[in-house]
Amino acid sequence: MTDAEGWRPTPAHLRAVVGGGSLAVAAVMARRPDLLVLAVPLLGAAVMAAARRPEQAPVVTQSIDHGVLREGDATTWRIAVADPEGRVEDVAALLDEAAWTDRQPATGQVAVALHADGDEALAIAIRSSHWGRRRVGPAVVVASSAWAGFRWVGRDEADARLLVTLPQPSPFDAVAPPVRTPGLVGLNRSPRGGSGTEFASVRPFQPGDRLRRVHWPQSLRTGTLHVTSTWADQDRHVVLMVDALTDVGVSGGIDGRASSLDVSVRATSSVAEYFISHGDRVGLVVLSARGVRRLAAAAGHRHLRRVLEVLASIERSSSLVDDGRMPRVLGEGALVVLLSPLLSPASLQRAATIADRGLQVLVIDCLPEQIAEWADEPLIGMTWRIELLKRERELGRARAAGVAVVPWHGPGSLDAVLRDAHHSAGRGRHR
Amino acid sequence: MSDQFWPESWRLGTRARGVGLLLRLLVVLAPAAALGCTRLAADSILAIEVVVIAAAALVAIAPDSHVGLVVVALVGANWWASVGDLATPWSIGVAASLAVFHASAAAASVVPPSAVWTRAMCRRWLQRCSVVVCGSAATWGVVAAVHDQRVAGAQLLVAAALVVAASGALWMRGAS
Repeated sequence: MTDAEGWRPTPAHLRAVVGGGSLAVAAVMARRPDLLVLAVPLLGAAVMAAARRPEQAPVVTQSIDHGVLREGDATTWRIAVADPEGRVEDVAALLDEAAWTDRQPATGQVAVALHADGDEALAIAIRSSHWGRRRVGPAVVVASSAWAGFRWVGRDEADARLLVTLPQPSPFDAVAPPVRTPGLVGLNRSPRGGSGTEFASVRPFQPGDRLRRVHWPQSLRTGTLHVTSTWADQDRHVVLMVDALTDVGVSGGIDGRASSLDVSVRATSSVAEYFISHGDRVGLVVLSARGVRRLAAAAGHRHLRRVLEVLASIERSSSLVDDGRMPRVLGEGALVVLLSPLLSPASLQRAATIADRGLQVLVIDCLPEQIAEWADEPLIGMTWRIELLKRERELGRARAAGVAVVPWHGPGSLDAVLRDAHHSAGRGRHR
Repeated sequence: MSDQFWPESWRLGTRARGVGLLLRLLVVLAPAAALGCTRLAADSILAIEVVVIAAAALVAIAPDSHVGLVVVALVGANWWASVGDLATPWSIGVAASLAVFHASAAAASVVPPSAVWTRAMCRRWLQRCSVVVCGSAATWGVVAAVHDQRVAGAQLLVAAALVVAASGALWMRGAS
């Protein structure tokens, strides 16, 4: 038997040929025509399978509708099968389960009669339930000929695809006024007067005022030149610093519990989306076990996509190690938002060091609130409670030292701190 | 599908449902029906039922195995050894059971156990199974007709039959 383009005879074909043939030979040799009656179904199946043996391999193409998803979103894995000879009958496919994905059908198994049903039904829905980058596929595709006599199996590793799942932003909004930063271009109104677009007042002319700013009605009424003054537009430069050095808690995906890293990543996603949607420049610094990854500050939705992709590429750390490393360069005058579970003193020390550089620092506490309750054993739960008490003491010291620390609660989490920072900046007390 | 490209076939076999489950039931029931027909037509009985049913159960678990050939061989041997009436109509029952067994095992090996069968797939397998059963019935008709008459041997007929059989075997070998 030769392998024509990967088509191989199956045990079913062997059963039909050998079983049917043996019964037929026995019928002749033993002069038992009744054995021939028994042989006919098997011989018939064998003859039909042999007569319809495919010679060419089917052409299989696998694709995924979307390479980038948000957590909780779904896409479809599609398998297209072309059979130039028309001798392929049944096609089955199995897509292995990738981490943090749900399949529909749940077993990842689909089958069709190729020429009767078409290959449209060879589609498996994939729902990603956790941020990250993971490999999906390829699906094993098995084509069978008539009477399952011959089989072709295809699995090309080149058909695997990278599925990037971006973190699902937690609901977040801030109503506090922006923090003042040295930049003077942007969508936010600066508390200082300047060459902006938003009307501030009509005031007497001063040397240096532009003539096109002269307010003629007021000038004619008063007899002295008056000009229209405006508020300066300011641009916020926000640096989001993610502490990915530690990850505690159990991650259950978008539908389950969130570990500290899950909270950090989703909160960073929310904050980045919020600031970028307001026209601010957002930079990203990820402190991870593999080193410091930096994304320069920029604005715009394309930049948001870059931020989310960097967040999706964060890998979990297997140990609770924080070596206290600091990113060397942070934008001057930036608002630094540090997102961390704050489990080691080095995290708070990092925030204090940044504040000492004269930057405005907001620390978002990303430790899940129920971390002590999730412990499987009472002793571990008690250990966590003790650890949390120590941590609370350290947080109190940090707050006393002027570092703003807020727990992440979603919408409005940063309002109080941003408002306070705005007022402090207005009084000229930049930290 | 064998473990070669279906590493979890054993575990997945326990998750068969729908048509996949029905096929596995037929894989066990069809040899039992063949044994029943043999018993009804038999002059003497071979006590191999347990072995046949056990082998059929193995086929139900792993339809893509060669154990199915053992089942066919045992059912055929049982018939050969037990039945003396060459024109008994029970041979159609055994042939139909063998056809259902073979078709069920083959169909069960085509798709994963939990996959949903489409109407077109079910229809085609039913049609093909019916065709071979009809072929058996027609063969039995010929056997019954010839059995009642004492047909003298003919050298030319035997030679022609041998040529046809040899040609068929050669063609099958080439096609497979």
